[in-house]
Amino acid sequence: MTSSSTATGASGLGPWSAIVLLAPLTVLMFAILLYPLGLTLWTSLYDGQLSLRAYAELASSTLFLKVLRNTFEIAITGTLVSLVFGYPVAMHLAAQPPRRRTACLVMVMLPFWTSILVKSFALVAVFGNQGLLNQLLGFLSGGQINLPMMFNRVGVVLGMINFLLPFMILSILGSLLALDRRLILAAETMGAGSLRIFWKIILPLSMPGVVAGVLINVTLSIGMYITPALLGGRQDMMVANLVDFYTRQTLDWTAASATAMALLAISGLLVAMLGRVRGGLSGGPA
Amino acid sequence: MNPLFGSSDVARRIVTVAAWLCYLFLLIPSLIVVPISFGNSGQIEFPPREFSLGLYRQFFTDPAWWGSMVQSLLVAVATTVIALLLAVPAAYALARSELPGRGLLRGLFMMPMLVPVIVLGLGLYLQFSNWGLLDTTAGVVLAHVMLTTPYIMISVMSGLQHSDIALETVASIMGASRRVVFFRVVLPQLGPAIAVGALFAFLMSLDEVVVAYFLTGTDAMTLPVKMYSSIRWELTPVLAAVSTLLTVLSLLIALGIIALQRKTEAHS
Amino acid sequence: MNAPSASAMVQLQAVTKRYGEFEALHSIDLSIAKGEFVTLLGPSGSGKSTLLNLIAGMIMPSSGRIIIDGRDTTTLPTNRRGLGMVFQNYALMPHMTVFENIAFPLQVRGLPKDEIRRKVTGVLDLIQLGHVAGRKPRELSGGQQQRVSLARCIVYNPALILMDEPLGALDKKLREQMQLEIKRLHAELGITMLYVTHDQDEALTMSDRIVLMNGGRIEQQGQPDTLYFKPETVFSAEFIGSSNLIPGEIAAGEGGTVTLKTALGAFPVPAPDRPFKPGERGVLLVRPENMTLTDRADSTSIAGRIEDSILLGGVVRHFVRCTDGSTVIVQELNQPGRAGARRDETVRASWTLDHARLLPSPPTR
Repeated sequence: MTSSSTATGASGLGPWSAIVLLAPLTVLMFAILLYPLGLTLWTSLYDGQLSLRAYAELASSTLFLKVLRNTFEIAITGTLVSLVFGYPVAMHLAAQPPRRRTACLVMVMLPFWTSILVKSFALVAVFGNQGLLNQLLGFLSGGQINLPMMFNRVGVVLGMINFLLPFMILSILGSLLALDRRLILAAETMGAGSLRIFWKIILPLSMPGVVAGVLINVTLSIGMYITPALLGGRQDMMVANLVDFYTRQTLDWTAASATAMALLAISGLLVAMLGRVRGGLSGGPA
Repeated sequence: MNPLFGSSDVARRIVTVAAWLCYLFLLIPSLIVVPISFGNSGQIEFPPREFSLGLYRQFFTDPAWWGSMVQSLLVAVATTVIALLLAVPAAYALARSELPGRGLLRGLFMMPMLVPVIVLGLGLYLQFSNWGLLDTTAGVVLAHVMLTTPYIMISVMSGLQHSDIALETVASIMGASRRVVFFRVVLPQLGPAIAVGALFAFLMSLDEVVVAYFLTGTDAMTLPVKMYSSIRWELTPVLAAVSTLLTVLSLLIALGIIALQRKTEAHS
Repeated sequence: MNAPSASAMVQLQAVTKRYGEFEALHSIDLSIAKGEFVTLLGPSGSGKSTLLNLIAGMIMPSSGRIIIDGRDTTTLPTNRRGLGMVFQNYALMPHMTVFENIAFPLQVRGLPKDEIRRKVTGVLDLIQLGHVAGRKPRELSGGQQQRVSLARCIVYNPALILMDEPLGALDKKLREQMQLEIKRLHAELGITMLYVTHDQDEALTMSDRIVLMNGGRIEQQGQPDTLYFKPETVFSAEFIGSSNLIPGEIAAGEGGTVTLKTALGAFPVPAPDRPFKPGERGVLLVRPENMTLTDRADSTSIAGRIEDSILLGGVVRHFVRCTDGSTVIVQELNQPGRAGARRDETVRASWTLDHARLLPSPPTR
């Protein structure tokens, strides 16, 4: 009398029950996620016959190359700016006693919960030509100064960092809070100045958070659609906007699909890198 | 007391100033819409010269705005319910079975978080134009269910990890069937985790623009799509009223989620 | 105590559990009589928890049969075995009150409301916790939680209650109190209990019978005093109580006595029940409390020097360093003026013939 030893325990679920519970979501993911992705790939490859023509055209299209360069420029600029400003914020948060830290974190998290459309609208109201800031500058300078900060590259980057900062701050904060404060005390007693402590202890030990934050930021910004569309000018089109442009303006679904696939490949690569850095995919809400 | 900066006052001051600039930059856009929304109904003004509820009156009397708000709430509720029905059982099965290929399925279920939304938007647009689902409520709901299930799964699976598996074992030994164990032991403990996932899914669906923009036209237009076109083409001050309403709603939901998370932490 | 199978509550027949190459249980045969209190005792990894999980149905045996109350339950799902179980971490439902926790198994059985109320109130009185019926488990102390968890089993009168180190999370004093409480409930209600522990004192205190497990096998089973006074192996002797073990070689014997030749000299030992051959290796066991310090030299004593004496309240332990460098422990009752001040004294550790026991040499592993 031999029974299988793979039978599940009292709290385990038998294979059939598991399949029944998993089936509906699996079907949905095949139908509403994998199928449209496959359809996009197919559309990019099939134009009467299977060919890589759409990709070859993209590779030689000045528009695509310009947009690709824009995308990387904006993503990298946005990420660097959010790193430069996010790091001090994370340090400030880490230095607060817990109650005050929670209060400050609310300020960081608020935009995280706010609709990107609300933020875009508000940024126009603050930084636009008739916005709050320009009114203030105009008043101070007697109508001499009006800085164009919206519907151009500055606008896109401003919108981008407003969206990216919380992710960067939280990522670095995690590393800083994990840092052993006694190291800093020890360095101080040995006579190290605060600049040296920062370069030799704090910065190197917070590197994992910095790297993860940078990768998250680049990954999120590379596929941005709303911000460049609403806050940028015609020259600031990013890859996502190009997909929309091909779909709606020129009705060239093949080119749109090929562009989308290129974007998917780039962001897939970044996600894989992020996964390696974090030792697993536990991406926050995007 | 707090040696992160060493004893340097200069360093502390620089960091503090930079940090507060960032807090302002992060905070102001979310808050400035509130005073604007009570301003004159003719144009976007800050500070408003007179207090008026005109923008709200415009919002609630214009069927294009009001209707898209109702549509968005409808989509968000439907999305949340369906996503819960699909994701909770799947999360339970992933956490409690030894089915081979669980890792792959898990990857599949998390994928919507990792693919750029524009790619999904285009793919669904191509698919739904074949299937006749463009500009239908059903189409948007299907897409939003797919987009929001990962967040429910993450919340529920972390809830399952924190719940004591011995409780399920002991219930089973006491004679409870699989069904009774699920409904009387597992579900009540998962309550807060499920609620967090549901609130998150609701908010995500309510705020989602890109996919909805690809999938809807005049019939099934959701509020974010209406806002998007409005910001893009007319920049009407009504936007301030809409934004305020949305921000208040988001804030309430965020507070709900934080309260629920506090509650679960206090329990374990 | 080994009951005939008709009155057996649990019977394991050649139960084996393998995980891949690793054999966690080797062909276990075990029978537990109705109303018996049996303890599975052993170090961690000895297979005692695996055995419990097999009976509970949480894992399936690789081969063999499990019969509970006359039914073959080998492949029966857990929830249809009619068992009860008490866990170390109590496993009370945090979202239910004490009353609801105890009512749960009765609701599962579809009992009418009145009867549930009556039964739950009854067991709450039995464990003297009626006053906390409306509280949530986390508002209770560890000891109270474990009593509730016990009550939750008793209330539906299962064929067998399994207990997996149920007192492991409690402090010493509470643990002793709970041991007595569990014993009392067992005596009053006559429920069959299978108790798993690695604590020998707990096993000795509570059990009708101890099943000592080692490396996936039953090393020895019997009543507590049998295991204590008549261990059959070096493992049993070492696991239960403390012991002085002196290895040697069996020389020819006569009458009821054999001689064991050791590095410390040749000692007479009562001949064991099992067959043996002269020349075989063997181990002499004498419990420390059966040794005394004398200055009289005879055949059942060892010469040595007191290295240290420690006071354990009612008893004193002397560590006697023998001529070959090994140490024997002599435990004597503590009497005024006898403790301490004997360090470095040359003495003889002596015992009587009937306290010596010859064990087989342990297999080399």
